[in-house]
Amino acid sequence: MTWQGKLGRIAVFALLMAGLAATSHAQVRNSGASTITLQAVLTDSISISLSSSAVNFNLAQGSASNPGSTGVTATTTWLLKPSVGSLSLYAYFSSSTAALTDGAGNNIPSADFQISDNAGPLTALTNTVPFGGANAGLQVSNVKILGNNRSGSRTDQMNFNINLSTLPNLPAGTYTGTLTIQAQAI
Amino acid sequence: MKTGRLFRIAIIALGMALATTMATAQAINSGAQTIALNATLAESLTLSLSSNAVNFTLAAGSAANAGSTNITATTAWVLKPGRTAVGVYAYFANAASALTDGAGNNIPSSAFFIADNAGASTALTNTVAFGGANGGLQLANVAITGANKNSSRTDVMAFNINLTGGTLPQLPAATYTGTLNIQAQATP
Repeated sequence: MTWQGKLGRIAVFALLMAGLAATSHAQVRNSGASTITLQAVLTDSISISLSSSAVNFNLAQGSASNPGSTGVTATTTWLLKPSVGSLSLYAYFSSSTAALTDGAGNNIPSADFQISDNAGPLTALTNTVPFGGANAGLQVSNVKILGNNRSGSRTDQMNFNINLSTLPNLPAGTYTGTLTIQAQAI
Repeated sequence: MKTGRLFRIAIIALGMALATTMATAQAINSGAQTIALNATLAESLTLSLSSNAVNFTLAAGSAANAGSTNITATTAWVLKPGRTAVGVYAYFANAASALTDGAGNNIPSSAFFIADNAGASTALTNTVAFGGANGGLQLANVAITGANKNSSRTDVMAFNINLTGGTLPQLPAATYTGTLNIQAQATP
């Protein structure tokens, strides 16, 4: 072997070593994994909107039929947790004995105030419900909450009547009061 | 020892179950929406009569000339608190000529009598809330209390013309006509 041949083999070997070294420099290097905790909260909610917030009545002495000047539609919208079983809409007064009053001691009790929900029968506000005074309320509607209506809405068309057949001695006057509509999910 | 551990585990499990149940039972309420209610019972006072005409067949100079029929006045009211009385009145527009023949011959209100609900027959000689001076009579007065703010009453009126007073015995033969008014008033 000539010295030129030896030199050639050495050169080839050096080139191979250089190639290996370059390959070793290109290998990826990873850091440790850092985590980010994510939390997204979809708050449960119930809201009610009313189509009107005032109703007038022209009363006839001793009459069972004294309808309100307008019906009121309550639209209830909800977004609930899976654990909720039902949603109810209530109408109530703060006092059963003085639902409406003339301010001079003459009152129309809640037992003589009636609501018809969605064209159902007229029903007096004589129950104790989660809100308002004792015996001064009415559960207007109840919705079972299932997997397919945890988010939903409903409308309750309420018509009103004041029954004066049990109040034949009610004196003439202007009687005012506040009816409250509220929903509860449980 | 093993039984005690199992018991403790059971208690903890029960506690967890109870806590879960309580969390489930927590109610969610909407906001309260209010409806203002305004109910008006209007004040009213009405009077209706069973009839609107009475005839008299007069006898010259006679004290007793009864009307052909009695008339019942029905007064009904729905009153505001503060009213204390309802009065029912009968009256003529003019005391001197309650009835007239149109030719200057008159029967005064003092010769016209009403008996209310079989009471005494009384001439219309008072000045009342309506009509001419000295041409009226208060038939009834009802005190209003808390118990009768909404109520009614009836007054059965029997009529008579007395032709014995003053120049009335000389009243000429004729047809005498007039208008008797019945009206109620709530006070104050």
